[in-house]
Amino acid sequence: MSANPVVTRRPPPWRDVRVLRVVLQLAFLAGVGLLVLFLYFNLTASLRRLGIQTGWGWLDEPSGFAIPDSDFRSSQPISDALIEGAVNTLKVSALGIVLATILGVVVGVARLSTNWLVRKAAAAFVETIRNIPVLVIIIFWYLAVLLRLPPISSAVEWGDLLVLSNRGLVVPKIVGEGDQAVFGVFIVAGLAAAVAAWIWRTRRFDATGEPHHRVLWSGGVVLAVALVGFFAGGMPLAVSLPERGDLGTREGFRLAPEYAALLIALVLYTASHIAEIVRGSILAVHRGQGEAADALGLSGFQRLRLVILPQAFRIMIPPLANQFLNLTKNSSLGVAISYYEVTRVTRIAVSQAAPAPQAFAVLMAIYLFFSLTIAAITNLVDRRLAYKGR
Amino acid sequence: MRVHRLLILAAAVFLLAGCYHSDDEEDAAGDGTATQAQGGQQGGRLLSQVQDRGQLRCGVNDAVPGFGFVTEGGEFEGFDIDFCRVVAAAILGDAEAVEFVPLTAEQRFTALQAGEVDVLIRNTTYTASRDGSEGATFLHTTFYDGQGMMVRADSEYQSLEDMGGTTVCVLSGTTTELNLESQFQARDVDYTPLTFEDNEPLQQAFVQERCDGWTSDKSQLAGVRSNWPENQGGPEALRILDETMSKEPLGPVVRDGDQEWAQAVNWAVMAPIQAEEFGVTSDNVQEMLESEDPEIARFLGQPGEDGAEFDSGLGLPADYAAQVIENVGNYAEIYDRNVGPDSPLDLERGINALWTEGGLQYVPPYR
Repeated sequence: MSANPVVTRRPPPWRDVRVLRVVLQLAFLAGVGLLVLFLYFNLTASLRRLGIQTGWGWLDEPSGFAIPDSDFRSSQPISDALIEGAVNTLKVSALGIVLATILGVVVGVARLSTNWLVRKAAAAFVETIRNIPVLVIIIFWYLAVLLRLPPISSAVEWGDLLVLSNRGLVVPKIVGEGDQAVFGVFIVAGLAAAVAAWIWRTRRFDATGEPHHRVLWSGGVVLAVALVGFFAGGMPLAVSLPERGDLGTREGFRLAPEYAALLIALVLYTASHIAEIVRGSILAVHRGQGEAADALGLSGFQRLRLVILPQAFRIMIPPLANQFLNLTKNSSLGVAISYYEVTRVTRIAVSQAAPAPQAFAVLMAIYLFFSLTIAAITNLVDRRLAYKGR
Repeated sequence: MRVHRLLILAAAVFLLAGCYHSDDEEDAAGDGTATQAQGGQQGGRLLSQVQDRGQLRCGVNDAVPGFGFVTEGGEFEGFDIDFCRVVAAAILGDAEAVEFVPLTAEQRFTALQAGEVDVLIRNTTYTASRDGSEGATFLHTTFYDGQGMMVRADSEYQSLEDMGGTTVCVLSGTTTELNLESQFQARDVDYTPLTFEDNEPLQQAFVQERCDGWTSDKSQLAGVRSNWPENQGGPEALRILDETMSKEPLGPVVRDGDQEWAQAVNWAVMAPIQAEEFGVTSDNVQEMLESEDPEIARFLGQPGEDGAEFDSGLGLPADYAAQVIENVGNYAEIYDRNVGPDSPLDLERGINALWTEGGLQYVPPYR
């Protein structure tokens, strides 16, 4: 009783908020952990009861199926098939991301154009494509467009350079021939020289303010060195021209219709989303920036390129990263048109007696790897370009 | 108050996990063969589950004319469909008590393992790796088939050796895919595969001449060819090569670990074949019930000399065979109705004839 001393005595643990917080979080974690363990044991017990293997040995079994457009042999293990599939996913995703960004930026800027026709055309593109499911676009491009190209027996040929049919577009390919070691050395030297040229021109620009033209300089250096190396190495490159047969073309570089349909569909779909992001980012740049650019007498294009877009770019990076991830994951829809990306390879392996839980776990890990890589790169770019205060 | 509730919840989760954990350890202790031997205790419950449910869930195809196909009226029709009805008639006494679950080739084993279907009757080939690694038990082969190659009639291919450099369309998830690879490798002929999940895009690709050959079981090819649209030239526009690329014994499939169910379905499926051997058809089954032949009487579930019906211990009703024959028919009727010479597929009995006629259909005696 008596006076109420101001004590900072800790309450008993079962009433102490700080203790309770820690204990409850640990209990929750333990609960989740036990749930996961329970599910895991349940799964392995069921698999064992059905006689399905629970380990990872299936990765070394010969796959038994072939993968078109590759050197993959059916006697190679399933793990090799998965790698081949992952490479195919990468091929369509990497190129898809680049093309979708370019197209998306163009369409996004076009939607803000002062030209009425350009603006409306861009809006129509975005509004139509955005509202169609990706799978439908993919199947449409494959079945309704690319398969309708002339069959190989009546393929379109453009001299010796190009053969177009529903088996693919074949163009000349540059192949290595003979000893390429000397040429390779010159290429590496050329790239090093290009980096040096870039740095030199940038420094010069910082010092004197003269336009740096560093892309032209670096590119020129690489080309010059490569040319010297080409002749010095005894011209170790040849051009392989497409030769049309009855069943397809030999030689040359073939762009398969399955790959093309998937790429076109993904690029169009993702570009329509990126266009909206770009438009939003441009509108988010402070209006005063545009007015200041006008006041300085910059042309419309200069204003866009030098003032608006760089600032908009900083804003749009996180949503862009999201679209890149979406594109990568949407590439799994290639199963519908016989494009052998990693989801397809996994599904074939599962239907040929690979255990499903493990196979799909591997598949998810592969996609996780791709996604985390893309996220890491974009985070890096984002951090470097982020507004440091305002 | 809130704290107490949370602590109680956490404790409950601990206890639950503990209980299930110890059960699974017991199960996990046995390996595959041990659990099969205990069939009765270990998951030998599907037969009674199906009987209680009153409906059979049958995994089928919906895209192969003659075997598993959906007509314009939305009805399922086909050889495998009829065998689903056979199993339903035997176990439930009602040939229409079936829920047909259409499955793609890639999904079928996963659906079976997960218990989505009770039995898979979907032109599935019996192979060693499927028996061992898919948790599946294969039952009596209802249709002995082989893999073939279909090409356009105006092309010059007469055998697989002629098909070097071609593109071949095939359904993914099938033995066809693997056989295609090994057959072409064995002949050292190179080719490009193009695989699809469903027949529709595959057919489109074949029509548009994206691929030069279409490989599948010969019965399936016959079905596709019979249905080929007139505006593409009708069946005459296609040719099936003579070569048989592999053995494809097709039959029903059930999950591992339930002996009772497997045996019941197996004997149900073999009943139409035995019926054909005895000469019992859906038309004369009522008269055959009065037969003097003790074998036929026992088979149809009639009481024997001692007045008792024969009980095989399979868990099937005594008159299951009679139910099957009356509601669906014997093997010859099922065959002729769906794939026989009078049907669009026009397949001869060939090796699917009874053993008494030189074919391979031979079932164990019912005694």
